[in-house]
Amino acid sequence: MIDKSAEELIVDSVKARFPEEVIEAKVQRKNRVSISVRNNRIYDVGLFLRDELEFDHIASVSGVDYIDMNEFEVIYYVWSINKKVLVGLRTKIPRDNPVLKSLVDVWEGVLYHEREVWEMFGIKFEGHPNLSLLLLPEDWDGPPPLRKDFVLPETHQERLEEKIKKLSSG
Amino acid sequence: MSIMKLSIGPQHPISAHFRFLLDVDGDVVLKLEPDVGYTHRGIEKLAEKRTYLQNLPVIERVNSYCDSAGTMLGYLEVIEELMGLEVPERAKYLRVIAAELNRIASHLYAASLFSVATGLETMLMWPINDRELILDLLERLTGQRITYTYQTIGGVRFDMPDGFKEEALKRLDYLEKRTEDYYKMLLWNHTFHMRTKKVGILRPSDAIKLGVVGPNLRASGVKVDVRKDEPYEVYDRFDFSIPTGKNGDSYDRLEVRFKEVGQSINILRQALKDIPKGPIKKWVPPIVPKGEAYTRVEAARGEFGYHLIGDGSMKPYRLKISPPSFRNLIALPHLCQNIPLADVPIIYISLDLIPMDVDR
Amino acid sequence: MIGLEFLILGLDFPQFIELVLKVLIFPGLAFPLLFAIIVIWFERKFLARIMLRIGPLHIGPFNRTGLLQPIADFIKLIQKEIIVPDNAHKLIYNLAPIMAALVASLSVAFIPYAPKPGGGYWMIFYTPFSLLVILAIFTARPFIIIAAGWASNSKYCTIGALRAALQLLSYEVPLALSLASIVIMSGTFDLAKIVEAQSSIWFIILQPIGFIVVLIGMMTEIARRPFDIPFAEQEVVFGWPTEYTGTQFALIMVSEYFDLCAVTSLITVFFLGGWSGPAIPLLNDISPILSGIFWFLLKMAILTVIIIMGRGIFPRVRIDQLLDAGWTIGIPLAILQISITLLTAQWWLPLVRGG
Repeated sequence: MIDKSAEELIVDSVKARFPEEVIEAKVQRKNRVSISVRNNRIYDVGLFLRDELEFDHIASVSGVDYIDMNEFEVIYYVWSINKKVLVGLRTKIPRDNPVLKSLVDVWEGVLYHEREVWEMFGIKFEGHPNLSLLLLPEDWDGPPPLRKDFVLPETHQERLEEKIKKLSSG
Repeated sequence: MSIMKLSIGPQHPISAHFRFLLDVDGDVVLKLEPDVGYTHRGIEKLAEKRTYLQNLPVIERVNSYCDSAGTMLGYLEVIEELMGLEVPERAKYLRVIAAELNRIASHLYAASLFSVATGLETMLMWPINDRELILDLLERLTGQRITYTYQTIGGVRFDMPDGFKEEALKRLDYLEKRTEDYYKMLLWNHTFHMRTKKVGILRPSDAIKLGVVGPNLRASGVKVDVRKDEPYEVYDRFDFSIPTGKNGDSYDRLEVRFKEVGQSINILRQALKDIPKGPIKKWVPPIVPKGEAYTRVEAARGEFGYHLIGDGSMKPYRLKISPPSFRNLIALPHLCQNIPLADVPIIYISLDLIPMDVDR
Repeated sequence: MIGLEFLILGLDFPQFIELVLKVLIFPGLAFPLLFAIIVIWFERKFLARIMLRIGPLHIGPFNRTGLLQPIADFIKLIQKEIIVPDNAHKLIYNLAPIMAALVASLSVAFIPYAPKPGGGYWMIFYTPFSLLVILAIFTARPFIIIAAGWASNSKYCTIGALRAALQLLSYEVPLALSLASIVIMSGTFDLAKIVEAQSSIWFIILQPIGFIVVLIGMMTEIARRPFDIPFAEQEVVFGWPTEYTGTQFALIMVSEYFDLCAVTSLITVFFLGGWSGPAIPLLNDISPILSGIFWFLLKMAILTVIIIMGRGIFPRVRIDQLLDAGWTIGIPLAILQISITLLTAQWWLPLVRGG
């Protein structure tokens, strides 16, 4: 019998535990595992990763806007200090109704990461205690800026003028 | 007494470009809510609009005035992973030398800010003076003091100038001796112990749960360092240790940084000794193939994460930067509960948060 | 007309000249001001040397000394607009800096700087209870601070003022207790008599513990680093004077140095034998008073350097740590000093009171 690497064992155990929910689980390279799950079960997979597989150290939460496919992807990158493996827990949600269950209860560290994804992509995290603007200015009223259909104003001056026009008309 | 709302920053002697909203009862801080974003430049959006090469100076400014070499390294790592590019040996060594010199400069800066938070201005000036020696060295190597744009895709831009090695070794010897003075002046100062020991204790379990990284995590006693866990460039060839703290208080966070300066000197000596001869740059096409990668590097403040999605063009489809200060920020409200008001600056500075790094 | 007013005071002409000299030149108005200017310059230059900086450079007669920098700063400050915050209590807010400077310079009037050849002392106002008067004046200071902090109606000012009030609790008791042992030893409340009691041996040798307690207590009193908690820049911006600008700020700054002047004079009187010292030939020829003043100023200068050095080498302590230290270390030490003084009376009595 061939010894399996830590990464393959993780993939196998996730597949065995969640045969339905996991769309794809693969080893990307050494120390990297990618698991895509259905968006309604991300919370359970997250709990499983944390409790059973020792993925404890949150690294990053990325949002990606796939505008051609009309969907968002949210990726939770979590590092396991003991196993030295980084898992990318990813899920896709429709662009029209971007709602996802928040993983704050699973990893407390995603608090600000999720807030950032919310303001940059407009993805609503259900159960997040404080979804308010973090990095953007307090009076930000435009669309979420990291979406691909966000039109960059050419200059700061133009944005200011736009704002002044809006204020003076309303 | 009733609860008073106190706002520290963005114009306050200690706050930098942050604002902290404090609930103060007498002299006790009940709650701290950080308000960040004063230096938000939208670098992630900017990066999508510019080519990979044009992005170099922009990415560097995620953490510009302290650790631009370490920041840049991660961006190059992620691009080179997608390209499957192997950088010339000499370039790898030069990248490590720049990054480690920058780490020393950054830690000295952190130490000087720390002592100003306790009110000891002498130790503000001493490390800043010695940091100048390191910046001077970096200027010889890269042509710039703060933002270098030295490392580039496929290598580095300039070779080591003549006499750099001898000068660097001389200055590192001086710095090692000088560290003893720092210990006498700051780390063995009884009043300093009174102010920093048992202040802002971050337990290891909490540190992991909150996702704290870098020297702050190591000060809590968790032995995590990307340079050892996933060696990038040529870090697997050097012999160095990971300093950790015992109690996870503010004092340990500073001491770990001082010990890391020692380890960086150690790495630099080995790198300067072993550096091979050869080319410093490989020509590469400016197009990154389709794909996705996530790399981590250990910068001075902790672990930088870069998540890059390439679509086969000259521009990134998505570049997510997960900087260390942003991840350490969450520890600040966690630590600032039911503490004296006078401890807030010390805890804040001991985490070594940089506004630009948090905001991007 | 002018020149006859001295008759109203019941003085003859030389006495009048002497009074004018005392009030206007030394130790009156000009001396604390000059002291402040020199000490501000010295502090900046000295701390700069400790910190491996250069300090003020360009303003002043000698190259690279920046001698006149404090005066230039003062001129800059008095040109600035005086800003009174909207919700401030206008009267108290405007009165507080003047009161601070006044009270700080008041104590200088009761300190004897040298003996006069024919009897009496070179001081503005002689009273046999000058120690009590000075303690009373010192106690007034925190209340001006509290008034200023409250009147500014700003959160940082209020916190700074409350800290000053707390600080009062920490140093007042050990300081008074230590001074009590001085009074026990010299048997008088008269500062001049205290100095004369030290003619054969200084009290710093007889009461080293008391000296340390008084030095630290006085440093706390005038809020020098490491005890500058009411001003703690990193925590409360500038403490109680945060809102003051221009001339008012200059007054507050100057009053800090008046306090330093008074405090160093007092410690010199209590422990370092005041004016006592061998006669300097050249000065003694002009007047023996000058010789006494010379020694007094020299001792003051040494104390000033020690007090200023605290800013270069210590971090600031926290208010609860200071209170803790004041009550658990300061008071026991002061009481220990009193007990030692009482128990060893038979040895020091002949030295101090001439048997």
